[in-house]
Amino acid sequence: MRAIVKVKDVSKVYKKDSGVPIYALRNVSVAIGDGEFVAIMGPSGSGKSTLMNVLGCLDRPSEGEVLIDGQKVNLLDDEALARVRNQKIGFVFQSFNLLPRTSAIENVELPLIYSERDKISGLAKAALENVGLGDRLNHQPGELSGGQQQRVAIARALVNDPEIILADEPTGNLDSRASYEILALFQQLNRQGRTVVIVTHEPDIAEYATRIIKIADGAIESDAANLNVRRAEDVLKKIANTVEVKS
Amino acid sequence: MKTGRILKSAFKGLGKNKLRTFFMMIGIVIGITAVTIVISAGLGAQNKIMERVKKFGLESLMIFAGGGREMGQPTSGGPITTLKIEDAEALKREIGNIAGVAPFNRKGDGVVKHQEKSITTRIFGVTPAWAPVWDWYAAQGEFITDEDEARMARVCVIGPTVQQELFGGANPIGEQIRIGNVIFEIKGIMQPRGISPGGGDMDNRVYTPLSTFMRRVANVDYIFGIKVLLKDARKIDETVVTIKSILRERHKLAAGEPDDFRITTPTEVTQFAEKVVGTFNIFLVLVAGISLIAGGFVIANIMLISVSERRGEIGLRKALGARNRDIRFQFLLETLVVTITGGIIGILLGFIGSTILGAVTQLPVSISWEGVMLGILFSSLVGFIAGLQPAKRAAALQPIEALRS
Ligand SMILES: Nc1ncnc2c1ncn2[C@@H]1O[C@H](COP(=O)(O)OP(=O)(O)OP(=O)(O)O)[C@@H](O)[C@H]1O
Ligand SMILES: [Mg+2]
Repeated sequence: MRAIVKVKDVSKVYKKDSGVPIYALRNVSVAIGDGEFVAIMGPSGSGKSTLMNVLGCLDRPSEGEVLIDGQKVNLLDDEALARVRNQKIGFVFQSFNLLPRTSAIENVELPLIYSERDKISGLAKAALENVGLGDRLNHQPGELSGGQQQRVAIARALVNDPEIILADEPTGNLDSRASYEILALFQQLNRQGRTVVIVTHEPDIAEYATRIIKIADGAIESDAANLNVRRAEDVLKKIANTVEVKS
Repeated sequence: MKTGRILKSAFKGLGKNKLRTFFMMIGIVIGITAVTIVISAGLGAQNKIMERVKKFGLESLMIFAGGGREMGQPTSGGPITTLKIEDAEALKREIGNIAGVAPFNRKGDGVVKHQEKSITTRIFGVTPAWAPVWDWYAAQGEFITDEDEARMARVCVIGPTVQQELFGGANPIGEQIRIGNVIFEIKGIMQPRGISPGGGDMDNRVYTPLSTFMRRVANVDYIFGIKVLLKDARKIDETVVTIKSILRERHKLAAGEPDDFRITTPTEVTQFAEKVVGTFNIFLVLVAGISLIAGGFVIANIMLISVSERRGEIGLRKALGARNRDIRFQFLLETLVVTITGGIIGILLGFIGSTILGAVTQLPVSISWEGVMLGILFSSLVGFIAGLQPAKRAAALQPIEALRS
């Protein structure tokens, strides 16, 4: 399997004023293959976000190598890294990070602004339709539910057709129903062939990924295929039934 | 393409934060309004002065009796009696570059009477050449003629102010006025000319034939000055030298003796006028400049606050692929759009303000393209300088640091 992102012996050290260095990552090596759906788990402060940022070229490791699509990115300058993020990575954040007072379609267009290509019309609309928001193009974030806002953010991550989607606690700000909707969307995208990595500290959420990496204290504790992948659609159906029974 | 998209995005960003945009703009609007009014007023004053200078004529020079003093006023003792009509004739005869000479004499405040009414005015003795040399003719009736000059006729031409004061609206031609004890018949009214470069009313004058003036009004055999009209204004310096040597020879001045006449050229008049206007303008531009600098500081500060408020947006844009220079460009652009828009509003307000100022104070104001260009130039400059530091700061933010907030 082709590795989309690969890190080798990566460490990230923060030097504190007291002089004692803090290791957010220690000698981490991992490869994310094409078409995988990976969940990264671990307690708070274990280094999950740090690993995500390194995988997504948002942050540089103190030591070790990072390869995106076989290309070594350690030595790239800021400008080249920006292009890698724009073309190959799609980020999804816990707090959605949509621009306020800006329509869904304009939010989704944001990565296109910084892309080098000239033909961009229609792409944002298609991405929103792909996440089931074809009827909310001109709604502003304030006029959308949390789940809908996160779907706008996912459309934004998809719009430049990246190699990989990196989502840091994408369900952290959502109620359980919206969380399953988002998981169902990720599973659907993954079935379409999209590589997805999500960070979570809820074991329940990780059950929906095909591979689970557990980290603790900056190091990989376990890394295994999930033999019992659950389907978010099934859960959603069950919730719908319960509501029907109740009413 | 990409640049166009960033531009559009910057515009949208401004529209989304109207209050901030408004506060940023207000300083620059005030500054540019001030600059526009200052320039309009300054230009108005300059135009007014240059207009007066042009009345004197740029292709002419003036010879006054009496050396080395302002405008030929007598120094001490009696008047200078050495400048004669014959001098004027000699200059005309001997210098090729001279198109015409208008020798004249005058009396500072002569009282002119018509029946019960009287006016204090300047009485001039002039030859018929006066009209073409000054390019100033009778509007009604007729100017002094060669025949009047030869006959020493007791006729006169009056300025519009004199007409107004002595006759009201009535036609004065053929009427008689009294200058001292001499009765003159009015044969014409001059074209109006307004205020002289020196500030006097050029329409409050009475013109008589020079011969009549010298014999009957002043009783002298010398003249006060000669206005010389040149054929080629570019040769003015040579001509001045020639005039000097001819007059010195005719007045039998030995080498080392000072001139007994003084020559005034338009260059001197123009330079003086420009100096006055220039000093005035420097002061006003300073005031306007200070208000613009203050406006610039306000903008720079608001932009800096805006950058720290929008750290999340900056981090997000970087995560999505914005390069440092894209961010720098966006923030610089936002500042520039605000200041240039503010500048344009300021120019419009300035024009309205100048027009009102002109109407209320009766001061001359002049609206000009230079003002518009300068306003836009200044506002872009202020925007650029004020926007540079905030834009740099925004571009230097690390994406994860910015996203964390
Ligand atoms: N800028 C920084 N300066 C100093 N220490 C940092 C910095 N960023 C992260 N750390 C430290 O690195 C470690 C890993 O942080 P990280 O944000 O990756 O944890 P996490 O697993 O994402 O936690 P959470 O589940 O709370 O989001 C933590 O101990 C954190 O305090
Ligand atoms: Mg985290």
